[in-house]
Amino acid sequence: MTQVQLKAVRKQFGNFVAIENIDLEIASGELVALLGPSGCGKTTTLRMIAGLEQPSSGAILFDGRDVSEQPVQDRNVGMVFQRYALFPHMTVEKNVAFGPSVRGVPRAELAARLDEILDVVQLSDFRHRFPAQLSGGQMQRVAIARTLITKPSVLMMDEPLANLDTKLRGEMRRFIRDLQQRFGITTIFVTHDQVEAMELADRVAVIFNGHLAQYDTPDRLYRQPASLDVADFMGASNIVPGLLTSDDLAKTGVGEIRVAPRRTFSAGDKVQVMLRSEAIDLMTEQPATGGVPGKIVARDFFGASVSYSVDCGEHRINVSEQARRLVDVGAPVWLDIAPERVWLLRN
Amino acid sequence: MATKSDTSLSSRLSPFQRFYLIVIAGFILGPFIPLLIQSFAFRWAWPDLLPGTWWLEQRGKSMMPLAWDYVLSPYSRVWEATVNTVAIGLIVTVICLAICLPAARVLAREKFRGKSAFEFFLSLPLIVPEAAIGIALLMMFIRLGLAGSYVGIIVAHLIPTIPYMVRMLTAVYQGLGRDFEEQAMILGASRWQVLRLVTLPMLLPGVVAGALFTFLVSTNIFLLTFFLGQGQIVTLPTLLFSKIAGGTLDASAAGITLIVTLPGIILLIISERFIKEEAFGKGFGN
Repeated sequence: MTQVQLKAVRKQFGNFVAIENIDLEIASGELVALLGPSGCGKTTTLRMIAGLEQPSSGAILFDGRDVSEQPVQDRNVGMVFQRYALFPHMTVEKNVAFGPSVRGVPRAELAARLDEILDVVQLSDFRHRFPAQLSGGQMQRVAIARTLITKPSVLMMDEPLANLDTKLRGEMRRFIRDLQQRFGITTIFVTHDQVEAMELADRVAVIFNGHLAQYDTPDRLYRQPASLDVADFMGASNIVPGLLTSDDLAKTGVGEIRVAPRRTFSAGDKVQVMLRSEAIDLMTEQPATGGVPGKIVARDFFGASVSYSVDCGEHRINVSEQARRLVDVGAPVWLDIAPERVWLLRN
Repeated sequence: MATKSDTSLSSRLSPFQRFYLIVIAGFILGPFIPLLIQSFAFRWAWPDLLPGTWWLEQRGKSMMPLAWDYVLSPYSRVWEATVNTVAIGLIVTVICLAICLPAARVLAREKFRGKSAFEFFLSLPLIVPEAAIGIALLMMFIRLGLAGSYVGIIVAHLIPTIPYMVRMLTAVYQGLGRDFEEQAMILGASRWQVLRLVTLPMLLPGVVAGALFTFLVSTNIFLLTFFLGQGQIVTLPTLLFSKIAGGTLDASAAGITLIVTLPGIILLIISERFIKEEAFGKGFGN
């Protein structure tokens, strides 16, 4: 159980600034995702926490203790690389035992810990296999076991679900979550995939161009992004410019939209109105109040869900719902959205 | 099992494919045939295609084939030359590895100014004729007192071997991601443990290939050894040259030639088995 803190951490490679003064606090036992497009500095941040890179300035603290200068071998962290980096010339057993054996753990204790951890990751039957003889999910479990056996104070993972197919992804997600809660280990992982970040993390740090854009829980990040960039990165499809005519009404190209009053915005402000596609109610008959009229121009059927493109005024709005019914293309519809689900952003 | 798969394989080859295989085999094995014949000849005069008199017909006069009798006798200095050749080859290989492993690591992983120029100049010793290098080195080595010494010869042998070794190891290092070494470090391994337990085992096939190649090149270098050995250090190539310098390949020269090929052949067989086993990860780390 270790609390991790980044204090004004900055990293520069030559003239290129990879990370610009990032402050981040990760609570003990928390599972945090560093999310951002490739090249945004998230991997560099992870590598600095691991000790593979030294910050150019600022400090990294474990439980309040500055570890910025501590060499990677002494930092007692764990890292699961994206391609697992299993040693191809060693069996599963040798791979997993690598950490304790280079640290000089006595043979008897090593054997006991090995049995225990192989049992946890359900790989006892595979202990004499070589990495090349394992599936992707098994390789990842070996990599996790190899790390957990060293009892790291912080566990780090680079794109933990990226190399797995859809079915395995769900399985590994639950596995990682269970393991993390069982050991109560502070875990940080890096991803460029917002779905992966929301699936796994307690909190997500969104990083753009070396800056921390937002650090929040997945639902707040998704519903209440701090900026247009974050909203865009989190996959928001319906963002329309508008004008607040009063505290609770925005005039947009779609029509008038009722919003929940917000302290930071007041009447007369130019705003961007974000409408999450699944928060919109699609009605085939005009409701008594509100309701923006439109016409369905396209329908995409995904099995469990269905997505409609609706022409509303000047904009095309995307609406998705559970596929309990299918509304035909061309049908006139009315869109309604609860004011508290409408989110306002500055330009 | 093996013969079965062999026959099924050969039955699928077209006549053309077979022809080319035979041609290739002819080029590889052909040069050895006259040597073998010569070493068992008693008299083989021009322009006969085969020896006029075989040793077998004259075995009353000589207990052993003439060539082998001489080669195996102490007068031939073959034993001394073999020991010199193998020892120099081994030392050159070890030093070459020690220089080239770190160099290859830098070339494979780092970017620095003048890297492409450096890579180009690496091959220069292979382009400049050996004779020119040999003469120039001889002047310097005489001055330094290295001429005619083992140290001198070993230094000279490093010149044509380092470019090959660096190139081979650079390619191998490029195939080895940083991940593995970083992972080992995170797991608590010291630099030395990383090298011993992760880097070297993973580089091993390439290291073995490079070492083998270096050894073979070193055992075959004639001119540099000849110039810098000053006749005081005899290796198999210089011994052979002194035998054939007269312009004829007599029976004893043929015998020496066959001996010259032995260290290389033995090493090839050993490393072939070694590399194959490595590739499947067997017999390792136990």
